[in-house]
This record gives sequence, C-alpha cells and structure tokens, in this order.
Amino acid sequence: MLALRLTRGSHPLVLMRRLLLAAASAGVGFLLLCTLGYASGHPAHASSSVLRLLWCAVPLAATVQFAVAVARTDPSTRPRPGLFASGLGPARLALLAAISTAVSTTLGSMVALLVFLHLRGDLTGLPFDGGAAEFLGAGTPLPLAAALTLLALVPLTASAAGGLALRSRPVAPTDAQEAEDDLAPAPAPTGLPWGVALTAAGLAVEAYASRGSAGNPFPLPGRLDSTPAAVLAGWTLTAIGLAMAGPGLTHLCGRLLQAVRPGAVRLLAGRVLMDEASRIGRPLGIVCAVLSGVIAASVLWTGGPRPFGPLTALGAVLVLGCTTATLLTTALEARQARARTAGTLLRLGAPASALRTAAILRALVLLVVFVPLTWAIAELAALPLTG
Amino acid sequence: MVAPPDNDVIWARSLHHSYNGSPGLSGVSLGVRDGEVLAVTGRRGCGKTTLLNCLSGQLVPQQGEVWFNSVPVHTMGPRLREQLRRDRFGWIAAEPQLVPELSTWENAALPLLLRGVSHRAAKKAATEWLERLDIGPLARKRPHTLLQSQRQRISVARALTGSPSVIFADEPTATLHHTERTQLLRTLTTAARSHGITVVLATHDAEVAALADRVVGMLDGRRVTNVSLPAASDTEGRSACSLSV
Repeated sequence: MLALRLTRGSHPLVLMRRLLLAAASAGVGFLLLCTLGYASGHPAHASSSVLRLLWCAVPLAATVQFAVAVARTDPSTRPRPGLFASGLGPARLALLAAISTAVSTTLGSMVALLVFLHLRGDLTGLPFDGGAAEFLGAGTPLPLAAALTLLALVPLTASAAGGLALRSRPVAPTDAQEAEDDLAPAPAPTGLPWGVALTAAGLAVEAYASRGSAGNPFPLPGRLDSTPAAVLAGWTLTAIGLAMAGPGLTHLCGRLLQAVRPGAVRLLAGRVLMDEASRIGRPLGIVCAVLSGVIAASVLWTGGPRPFGPLTALGAVLVLGCTTATLLTTALEARQARARTAGTLLRLGAPASALRTAAILRALVLLVVFVPLTWAIAELAALPLTG
Repeated sequence: MVAPPDNDVIWARSLHHSYNGSPGLSGVSLGVRDGEVLAVTGRRGCGKTTLLNCLSGQLVPQQGEVWFNSVPVHTMGPRLREQLRRDRFGWIAAEPQLVPELSTWENAALPLLLRGVSHRAAKKAATEWLERLDIGPLARKRPHTLLQSQRQRISVARALTGSPSVIFADEPTATLHHTERTQLLRTLTTAARSHGITVVLATHDAEVAALADRVVGMLDGRRVTNVSLPAASDTEGRSACSLSV
C-alpha cells in the first residue's frame, strides 16, 4: 500500500519513467505471447518456436536492466535518514522497489495481453479487430497456464532484480554518515583489459566462423536464415567485452579531460567523469554494443527482398529503447548522487552555466570517444560477413 | 531608500523573511563595520543562518534592504549575486562542504579557479594558505582520507584563498571537538584581522562569541540585547506531564 501511495504522490517525470517501463514490459509480453501463438499454431515447427522464445531473451534482458535503473533512481526508494530511524531500512526499501516495479511491469503485461487478444480477433469492438489473426495463430486455443507464465516472466524477473539491486545498495543511517559516504570515491574500474580482450576475441571468432560457407543455421524469426551460431557467439562476446570496457574507457576519458593545467570547468568535468565511470560506463558500453549490432545488421541486410519482420522490428526497438533509456536514467542517477556537491559549488558562487558547461563537456567527450568506437566495431563485425 | 553609512561594509535594514509562512526573520537591522569580527549569537532556530544567507546574497529577503559597500544587494539578479559571492565573499559552513573529487589544494583553490585565475597562480595561493593553516603536507590528498578537523581547515583555507572582503561563517565549529574548535577559530580570526577581512560569525556558543570584536544577539528572528529567557519555574515540567496528551 505504501508503494502505491508513494506512486500517487510522485513527480510526473518519475511517473513517466514508470510508464516507459510499463511500455517496455508490454512490448516484451507481446513478443512472448506471439511466440506462444506461433507455437500453438504450428505444432510441427517446435524447434523454430523454441528459437523464437530464445530470441525473446534479448529484449527481456534489456527490460530488466531498465527496470533496475528505474528502481535505483526512484525518489520513493531513496534512503532517508528520518525514515531509517523509523524502521524503513534497506530491506523494506528493497521490498518497496520490488513492489513498485511489479506494479508497472504487471500493468505492461496486462496491456500486452489485451493488445494480443485484440489483434488475434478474440476481443471485438475496436478498429484493427483481428488485424493479424493468421499471423498470431488465431483459431487454435491459447493455453491459459502458458500465457500466464509467459506474462509473469517480466514482472517476476524485473521486480526480483530491482529488489536485489536496492538490497545491495549501502544505506546511510544518519545525515553525517551520508555526507561521509558521499566523500568516498568510487574505485577505479579495472575491466578495461578484459573488455578489450573479449571484444577482440569476439570479432576474431566471428571472422573465423564466417570463413566457410553458412552452415549451422540459427535464424532470427522473420529473416536472417543463415546466421551461423558461431557468428552470434562472436557478437555476444563482443557485446560483453564492450560492456566490460565501458567503465575503463569512461575513466580514461575523464583522466584525459582533466589533464594538463585544467581550469575549473575542465577539472570538475574530468574528475566527475572519472568518479562516475563505474556507474555510467556499463550502460554506455551496452548501448555501444547494441548500436554496433544494429549498424552491422543494417549493413548486412540492406538489399534483401524482405529485411526483417514486424516482430523483429519490435524486438530491435525494445532493445534499443531500453538500453538508451537505461543510459539516460543512469545519468540521472549520477546527477542525483551529485546534488550535494552541486549545491556546494553554487553556494561558492560557481555560475550555473559553468556546471552546465561541465556536463556538456562530459557528454561531448564520451560522444567523441564512443561514436567512432561503435562505428569501427560495427564495420569490423560486418566485414567478414559481407566480404 | 536611505543610503547606508559609509563605514559599514554590510548594512541591512529591517529584514523580514519567512519560509512558506513559518517565520525566519522578523525585522532585523544590522551594520557590519569594515575589518571587524562580528558574532551573531542565539539559540538554534533563531534565524542566524537565514540572516547570514540574506547578507551573503544567497537568499533575497521578502522585505528589507541589504547593502554591500553602498551597493544594494537585495535588488540584484541571481547572476549578479552569484558573481558577488564568487568575487567578494567567502563562506564557511558547519559541514566542510568539500568537493569529493578534488584534492585538498584544488578544493582550496576552487574560488580562484572559478574566477578564471590561471592554474599556476591558483595553486600557489592555495598552497600558501594551506601551509599557514598547518595542512600543507596534505595538499595532494582527497577529502575522504582526512579527519573532520582537517577538512574544516580546508574549508577555512578555501574561504581565505579568494581574498574576499567578507567571510560568512555559519557555526564553523559545530562538528568539531573542543580543542580543535578554539584552534580553528583563533586561526580564522587571526588570519582575517591580519588581512583586513570582515568576518560575520554565527554561533550559539558564548565561548566562541568571546573571540569576536562585537556581539549581536538574536531571539526568534529578532535582534535582542539580552538573550536570556525568564527562568522556568521548577514545577512547570511536572505539571506539564500531568496533562493528558
């Protein structure tokens, strides 16, 4: 009940983040139901159905990542010393986060079910009745238990992940302790060598696998009939490598930014980037990996008769949207964490424009480093497949 | 509008300020002379911090005037007040309020860096002040490795490095123990007197106020000459307890 009351009183921007999460959950729920519809409509193509289900794991993972980011930035689960004194410690806050995540994602799942039934033609009275009846396997009964299990997947995983993420977050019992914790810097990220090695290994595996003819099909539903499993494994390795290298690269960007006799703006921008590297770097690496995947895929599939189906498009939009939203939400979290320092600087008479310039400078440096990197990885990934 | 007296560096007239209806200041007038150490004393919640915020241009009083060197502060826009704080004022709070990402000397040099002074000059000035405050060897350390008393000295060094006209110190010793308290205050007042810097010091501690040139008492948002309240009778507490609540 407390979670619902807090939701009712929250800021429109916070509600918008939750609505975005609900939309993502609806998208994933819809994809899962479509898989179920396909499976019940085509009992003979069991392996194809399993493959479709497995592909749903990618948008599911992106949604869960976004749910965790939303839970971490939610003001209603922010540790407050006053509430800590009255017993709202880390365990209760984690529970609160899990409940509010479950509420938004369940809302999304419900919407997904309604849209699915509507497009199948099971619910009537609105435009586009049964607009995709055949495509979604209308005519065959939908197993209720299976549908509910699939719909519960997103709420359960997302709220569990959100709760666990908040459970492991340190909660300061007093204001003095909070100020003390704010002073302690985040440890410098160490994953850069591993990340670079994994990325290189992934690209190598991919190049090696695509040397021969396209065997061992692992098709994306709709299109991509001949992507070998090893190529996908290579891409996965590259993506993990980029996610691991992200924090290290961000830290390096910050270090370069504050080097050689910096003024106030460059000093603040660089040091903050160094300190926030472990927070912002990972989602940035993931966005980078997803974007490079999209670029490589678009290079591969341009000119084909039918590049991809509507469900693949929905999945791609979900993955892109969720990872980007996660990055933006994490940036917001970093900003919330630095509110105290920003207040100090403004009290000293730092112009608000200086703080803005520092933020813009940080974003620019990250763009300058990560955009060419994304492009290069995408080109390298597509090179062996097109050649 | 009456022009303020010439020998006052800061002059405030009948300041009124309330926070969303809750009273903060109700009619405080004050003159701060050039180069003096003025203590504003009173209990917690009597409006000392609000007064300092109004005088230093962080807060615009709802009624009343604040003048700095015969320039009206209460009519300035946010940008001008920001510049005034940056160029002419220093601020020391109860908490050290350091920037965690910066090292000791960078924290101390921050006011100069924000004014656009060159890196080298800012470092030189900051290091000099850190050495005068006996924290020179800590110049390269980050705040999280230091003791609270050392952090508060950095905060004092930061206020002094900008060579301001006025330093506002709001309970600067609230989080310190007794010995560190006197030492910090002596350092601050000595440095301010030798450099002709005016200090406005808010404190609830009579011992701290004794280091000032002049003391202004406050009670419930008003300026008073005698801060002591009439003594409560012995039985009041007991009779209050017998009330059914």
